[in-house]
Amino acid sequence: MTSTPSTDERRLAVAGGAPARARRPRQNFETWSWFFMRVSGLVLVFLALVHFALTHIINDVVETDAAFVAERWDNPLWRLFDWSLLALALFHGLNGVRWSIDDYVRSPAWRAGVKAVVYTGSGILFAYGTFTIVTFA
Amino acid sequence: MTTTGSAPRVNPVYRGRSGQWAFVGHRVSGMLVFLFLLLHIVDVSLINISTELYDEVHALYGNVVLRLFEVGLLFALLFHSFNGIRIVMVDVFPGAVRRERRLLSAVVFLTLAAGIPGGYVIMKPFIDGTLLG
Repeated sequence: MTSTPSTDERRLAVAGGAPARARRPRQNFETWSWFFMRVSGLVLVFLALVHFALTHIINDVVETDAAFVAERWDNPLWRLFDWSLLALALFHGLNGVRWSIDDYVRSPAWRAGVKAVVYTGSGILFAYGTFTIVTFA
Repeated sequence: MTTTGSAPRVNPVYRGRSGQWAFVGHRVSGMLVFLFLLLHIVDVSLINISTELYDEVHALYGNVVLRLFEVGLLFALLFHSFNGIRIVMVDVFPGAVRRERRLLSAVVFLTLAAGIPGGYVIMKPFIDGTLLG
């Protein structure tokens, strides 16, 4: 098992390995990855669309200045809302990028390199975003 | 799969017609939203460096070019949301596979039905001529 599975192979994994072989689905990492995408996706429909409506439709974008953020983040529930959106959107997006890399970057060395850059960059930004939401006073 | 070196190349086009376009649209819209998210983490985090700096950078989002970009973001979000719901339906309800094309039509219809008025609201300051810059 040296190469990472392509989309087709993942679908097989989700279906429980080779159809003739496994009757009972194997709950491997890709199964949970598929499940996470479905659940986080449905939650994100709500979180992302509410967030967009608040910052672009109900309020004009120019009104969402530092004072607007300070007022919202005065309520810890809005901080939780924004952090949930950050965490779910980032990991949902990162997993989508991981699937895309496996589909398009065929050379194992390039694949590992591209993933290292994407994971590191996303990890740093996730930590930075979390720090911002938690420490803003 | 024990391959050494490059994995075998396969033709990425599987001639899935509307389903294929839905797949392409889902990937492209997802990638755009993800890239915007990374940028958005950086611009919001400026608030912890200085609120003046945040306001200065944030004011850029009000100009007409970035408003058009926000309309694009809205369409990407809507399409990805509705198409994602379609994907979940296809996974969960056996009947959804047979009505797959009709479901995709609904996705496109809902994206336009929500995106056009939303886009109008975002562009309104420009349309009214009250936008500075």
